[in-house]
Amino acid sequence: MQKILKRTRGGSLSDKFILVILGLIVLTYFLFVAIPIVGIFLKIEPNQVSAQLRNSAVINAIELSLFTSGSATLIAFVLAVPTGYFMATRDFHGKAILDTIMDLPILLPPAVAGIVLLYAFAPRGLLGPIFNRLGIIIPGTTIAVIIAECFVASPFLLRASKTGFERMDKDIINSAKMLSGSRLRVFFTVALPLALNAVISGTIETWARAMGEFGATLMFAGNLPGITQTMPIAIYVLLYSNPLGGVMLAIILIIISFSILIVVRLLEQKSLRIQK
Amino acid sequence: MIQANSIAKSFSGKKIIENLSLEVKDEEILSLLGPNGCGKTTLLNIISGLMRQDRGHIYINGVLVSGVVGTRNVNVKPSDRKIGYVFQTISLFPHMHIEDNVAYGLKALHLSTQEVKKRTENLLDFVGLRDYARFYPSQLSGGQKQRVALARSLATEPQVLLLDEPVSTVDPQLREPFRLELKNYLQALKMTVIYVTHNLSEAFIMSDRIAVMGNGAIEQVGSKTEIFDKPSSSYVAKFLGINAIKGKAIKNLGEVMEIEANRIQLLASAVPDLIGRNVIVTIKPDDIFLSKSSASGFSSETSNIIEGTITELVQMRSNTQVTVDTGFIVKARLPLNLVKSESWSIGDKVYVYFSADSLNVFAENSS
Repeated sequence: MQKILKRTRGGSLSDKFILVILGLIVLTYFLFVAIPIVGIFLKIEPNQVSAQLRNSAVINAIELSLFTSGSATLIAFVLAVPTGYFMATRDFHGKAILDTIMDLPILLPPAVAGIVLLYAFAPRGLLGPIFNRLGIIIPGTTIAVIIAECFVASPFLLRASKTGFERMDKDIINSAKMLSGSRLRVFFTVALPLALNAVISGTIETWARAMGEFGATLMFAGNLPGITQTMPIAIYVLLYSNPLGGVMLAIILIIISFSILIVVRLLEQKSLRIQK
Repeated sequence: MIQANSIAKSFSGKKIIENLSLEVKDEEILSLLGPNGCGKTTLLNIISGLMRQDRGHIYINGVLVSGVVGTRNVNVKPSDRKIGYVFQTISLFPHMHIEDNVAYGLKALHLSTQEVKKRTENLLDFVGLRDYARFYPSQLSGGQKQRVALARSLATEPQVLLLDEPVSTVDPQLREPFRLELKNYLQALKMTVIYVTHNLSEAFIMSDRIAVMGNGAIEQVGSKTEIFDKPSSSYVAKFLGINAIKGKAIKNLGEVMEIEANRIQLLASAVPDLIGRNVIVTIKPDDIFLSKSSASGFSSETSNIIEGTITELVQMRSNTQVTVDTGFIVKARLPLNLVKSESWSIGDKVYVYFSADSLNVFAENSS
């Protein structure tokens, strides 16, 4: 009995060796990810923070990013949540194909997203003539930034809300339909609350993706300070003229991403608790 | 009153309901009894309007709520059909307090806040859950949730009530008292009710009449005794656990007639029309007696005495089910102590007795 206990506690030599190797792998990977992220916080000293926050290029980029990502998220919400509900609750021909097309921007390389938007909205593009007639030119404007961000980021919200609505107990929705003839009331008072956690985490993901959008925006909207130069683009540009400004923007984006991850995790835990 | 006329419904080519007609009388509790997957819930969904039938008409209190008449395609919204529906999965709104669950339908009626509050309280009083008004569904037991679901479905003052296996979500040991409680509620309501269940004894406890459903259609509708004493098809007989034997009516002997089943002669009350036809004979397990001796006081003029071999003994809570092979298989239900005192075991030879008038006979092709 004692013999067995000894062996389980100590383990054989090769077991110990494997454990050490595993420990090294984990440590290497952890440092590989953590060192660059933590390291950038060391690049800027506290007294430089306020100066950078008064730098107009930095400020403009922050304001523009908040405005465009906020607008893109709002538009995505209005488009993707009802669509997600529709796709989750209805069956129709071609649903699988439509579903796949709607998911595509998630996987598209940003440069591809940029070029397809350009060919769709440029004055001589597919939809360009329509906007020309209205006197609107989209590429190179703040609207183009919002379109690019929405195009790339909204599928996250569509996917999340669709999954959320699919998980609803259909009988709960049917119970509501038996009691209330208003589709809108059933949607807002029962369906949306039931899928709320999925919709919220989808919204946050969409916003984060919109904040980080770089390639499609650069191709479709360009790099005009105050108009289309969002935080990621400004980081790239400032790297050569004002590196500390770029570092400041990077730090802000890291903090935002970190906060988002925490919020999404908390929501996931909450919805797990409710399911139990 | 609920009328379903010639209803048909298929899902991706598979027929779920086929030419089904059913009428539920005013203030009647009708059990819709059938095995899982026979289309009971589909029928409720069609009646309630949550699903559209491919063919046929639904009337509630004489008003057409769904179906095509001439060029008119009638399809009244579920919420406008005056139907209360309690779903099998209870399906309370998990994010709302109990009182808000009950008030959900009332708020759609655009009543004053005070009226909504008053009616909600009355409904919670009715199901004895006033003290739980500010609880969430997850804080209630299965039976309590089911009572809330009932109160919620009654809020809009429906004319008919559909209940889909309401006892199935209650803990097994609490089902018996909950059934009786539910029966009291239903009797107090005096409403037209369709009560869906796959449980035979539940159908007997809850309802005035029973409709046995199978293969997408109503097999038989009748009072409890009608259904049990005179099953009209071998499907119904088998579902109710009644012996069903194929045979042929040979000749009329006056009060009784002779039937041949697997080369065994049986006597049944005479039905002259059936002579010469293939028939199904049904015998309730409770009408069968077994004995080791051939002398038992049964008259061979009006009773059947057949020799057989015990092939199975299954002890139930209050009786023993004995299966005997006599050339055809019959199941008898006998008191536990009788089986014990006779010390029967599998392989024993026994005599099977049943009187001619306990047999129910109908033509085979009518089933």
